[in-house]
Amino acid sequence: MELLDRYLQAVKKHLPWQRQDDIIAELKANLEAQLEDKEAELGRPLTNEEAMAWLKLLGSPIQMAAPYQAQQYLIGPAIFPTYRYVLQLACTWAVVINIIVSVVRVAAEKDTSPAAWFGVLQHIPLTLLMTAAWVTLIFVIVEYAVTHSKTKWMPPAAPSAGWSPAELPPLEEGESAGQKPRSFAHAVTEVIFGFLFLAWWLLVPQHPYLLIGPGVLYWHASPFQLAPISVLFYWWVVGVNVVQLAWRSADLIRGSWPRPRPAQTIVVSAVGLIPLGLLLSVRDHAYVLLRNPAIDQVHYGEALTSINLSIHWSVVVLCAITVLWLVWEFGRLSLDAYRKRMASMQ
Amino acid sequence: MTLTENLFENLRLELRRGCLTLAVLAQLRQERYGYTLRKALAERGLEIDESTLYPLLRRLEAQGLLASEWREEEKRNKRFYRLSSDGEQIFDQLLKEWQAINISINSIL
Repeated sequence: MELLDRYLQAVKKHLPWQRQDDIIAELKANLEAQLEDKEAELGRPLTNEEAMAWLKLLGSPIQMAAPYQAQQYLIGPAIFPTYRYVLQLACTWAVVINIIVSVVRVAAEKDTSPAAWFGVLQHIPLTLLMTAAWVTLIFVIVEYAVTHSKTKWMPPAAPSAGWSPAELPPLEEGESAGQKPRSFAHAVTEVIFGFLFLAWWLLVPQHPYLLIGPGVLYWHASPFQLAPISVLFYWWVVGVNVVQLAWRSADLIRGSWPRPRPAQTIVVSAVGLIPLGLLLSVRDHAYVLLRNPAIDQVHYGEALTSINLSIHWSVVVLCAITVLWLVWEFGRLSLDAYRKRMASMQ
Repeated sequence: MTLTENLFENLRLELRRGCLTLAVLAQLRQERYGYTLRKALAERGLEIDESTLYPLLRRLEAQGLLASEWREEEKRNKRFYRLSSDGEQIFDQLLKEWQAINISINSIL
């Protein structure tokens, strides 16, 4: 039957080339036997329309050939759990090592400008991408070697055989029964201390002993004075604390204090980064100046440089901690939001 | 096809997949070629597409559960399949598993 031969010819084009002839010979024998049965039932040969309807029922040549193709994976289910485990480990350590190396490099080059720090952050996505690419490539090679080797090799499972329930970490806060609600006393204390801090901070310019105690006497007698940037920094701190206090007071008034919105702390911390950024952008790290540079430069120049450098590095560390915390919190919130969305869809 | 129909179809295929393997192994305790095997299964109420059955035979043979040979019958070369000795062992184990599942499911339902 010509139509059947044409069908088989089309199927053949989609079969694995090593077994094409064998498979087609078997298919031909089976389908011809089926055809003979049909014709014996009807007592006549199939018409062209009937033959076409029968072949249509068998499925398109691609559909018929597809199940003969070996299932192909870049990384198969047998080694996928190990791959995921190694990928997570490798990416985490690659980022940690990259940050450490970059910070050391920036410090060694003594280029602590915001652009240099931005460069450190800029390298992270590329590091992640390269690490993931290398790990994936290695596992693709392993998968290929396993599937093409004659011996049946079982990949090691993700380290799970030696685990002990006693080593499980303690329950994280808020994991057992949702986030633990904040107590009323806690919320009130936060507002009171927020208010006291703001009042204290506003009094500092007129009464600097509130900040540095008896050291104020030495400060007035010293050849140093604060640079103008300190005024801007001061008012930014005031602004951030006013916003935070207003937010917490509003929570208290509205009754939403047991579960403050997680975005609140992120926004406040993000706004808090602005004054730190201002400090980082100060030219030559001039946070403290000499009152009479022409006279005191010779005696106090070195001390001034070391004071300014200490302040600068403190700000850098504070800034890095805040950024890391923000990234962590943002990731955690995004993951929570995703889980909630998935749960609501089920 | 609606989402529910699609879901049902996927679950139905998943449910049938293991059963088909068992049925094919059971039928091949006696030597058969592809088309007669398909007919035998259909006569017992288990319809199976050509594009499912014939590749399944190849896979089971590649796994060492079936043995096959080309032979002429009724003036046509046909590939005959039967259970291999490994296949017989595995079939016995699968049959016991199937019977245990069947009893459990019946008691649950």
